[in-house]
Amino acid sequence: MNVDTIERDFREKVSEKLKLESEGINRYRVFTPFLFEDGDHLSVILKKEDGYWVLTDEGHTYMHLTYDLDEKALQQGTRQKIISNTLSMFSVQDRGGEILIPIQNEQYGNALYSYIQALLKITDISYLSRERVRSTFMEDFRAFMEETVPANRRDFDWHHQLHDPEGKYPVDCRINGMSRPVLVQALPNDDKTRDATITFLQYEKWGVPFRSLAIFEDQEEISRKVLARFSDICEKQFSSLGANKDRIKRFIQESMA
Amino acid sequence: MALTLSDNDINLLIDENKPLPADFMTKIQTRPKKGHKESELDVNGANGSEFRLIMRQSLFNPLDFSVILAYRPPKSSQLFRIRRYNGKSHEHTNFIEMETFYGYHIHMATERYQEIGAREDTYAQPTDRFADYQQAIKCMLDDCGFELPINPQGSLFEDI
Repeated sequence: MNVDTIERDFREKVSEKLKLESEGINRYRVFTPFLFEDGDHLSVILKKEDGYWVLTDEGHTYMHLTYDLDEKALQQGTRQKIISNTLSMFSVQDRGGEILIPIQNEQYGNALYSYIQALLKITDISYLSRERVRSTFMEDFRAFMEETVPANRRDFDWHHQLHDPEGKYPVDCRINGMSRPVLVQALPNDDKTRDATITFLQYEKWGVPFRSLAIFEDQEEISRKVLARFSDICEKQFSSLGANKDRIKRFIQESMA
Repeated sequence: MALTLSDNDINLLIDENKPLPADFMTKIQTRPKKGHKESELDVNGANGSEFRLIMRQSLFNPLDFSVILAYRPPKSSQLFRIRRYNGKSHEHTNFIEMETFYGYHIHMATERYQEIGAREDTYAQPTDRFADYQQAIKCMLDDCGFELPINPQGSLFEDI
């Protein structure tokens, strides 16, 4: 092993993948070897704005993320925190969806390093969606209910004050204002589905009037026995949130009418 | 568990007849979002499959766009991207073929990329069949079994 040869190879490999191509006056496309998970390279433009050079993605990064994610989800919860921390860490700006970094003191190389690192960290949010959906499902559920049900007609993490003052039988969201309020459970796994089964049975036992609605993160992941028991007592179920938002919204609005 | 589809399944989904509603031009009007415009339209295939058209275009660069045909498997929240028509705004690399190019391109779902754990639509081919957003939509409708309404409301491919 010749360290000099390896070092030279590293340099050549990295530098040959970095290119600038003119796309008009004071505007260059920056080609880099850095990729999204689908093989698309990051979109980077070097351009002069009001006498200053900036690197920008012209809105590409967020747009690419919205192939899989609701745009609103980028501005809420865990995802929003990752994005805002990243912007701050690398001194990168979000200007109406365009991620950019001004180039200070002709430090073009340093700016490119920071910029690429920031974009890659932001694109990692797509893994959060694909591989760690459980950590955001409850956030997505809550955001959906906030969007669908007026604030004065919903209570999150509700429990019956009279029968259950200690909150042993919580409900993720209670939609009120009807003779039979709708108790909504968001169900990411077997354990939560078992708890929801017990909760609904308990409300039946107390004689509390209600309608039941369940939204699974992915119903196919629930074991057959657990699901069978739950199906016996739950009035309406949706197999997932993402693919059924329109249907769930319609059901809730009809229930609230 | 992520859905995997064979090349044959993918081709069957592409070929499935997809009748568009008379007002589909109105329904695919884009709305401004954070840095881009977007619209989505659910379409039912003649064999009962559910599809979604997903359209995006940058507010800053009109050549940066995506026109996507996705399949929605029954009882699943997953969207399986069958085809994606991309503008000229970034390079693309096909990992398996070890090729990189810059320009308008079409992503295609393939079995071989799913097998290595990559996104289903990682493979892409450069194209000269479209050069703007409207032409990309027309290309997708031509390629993917869409049936246009006899009297579409709104002028086709203008002001989308």
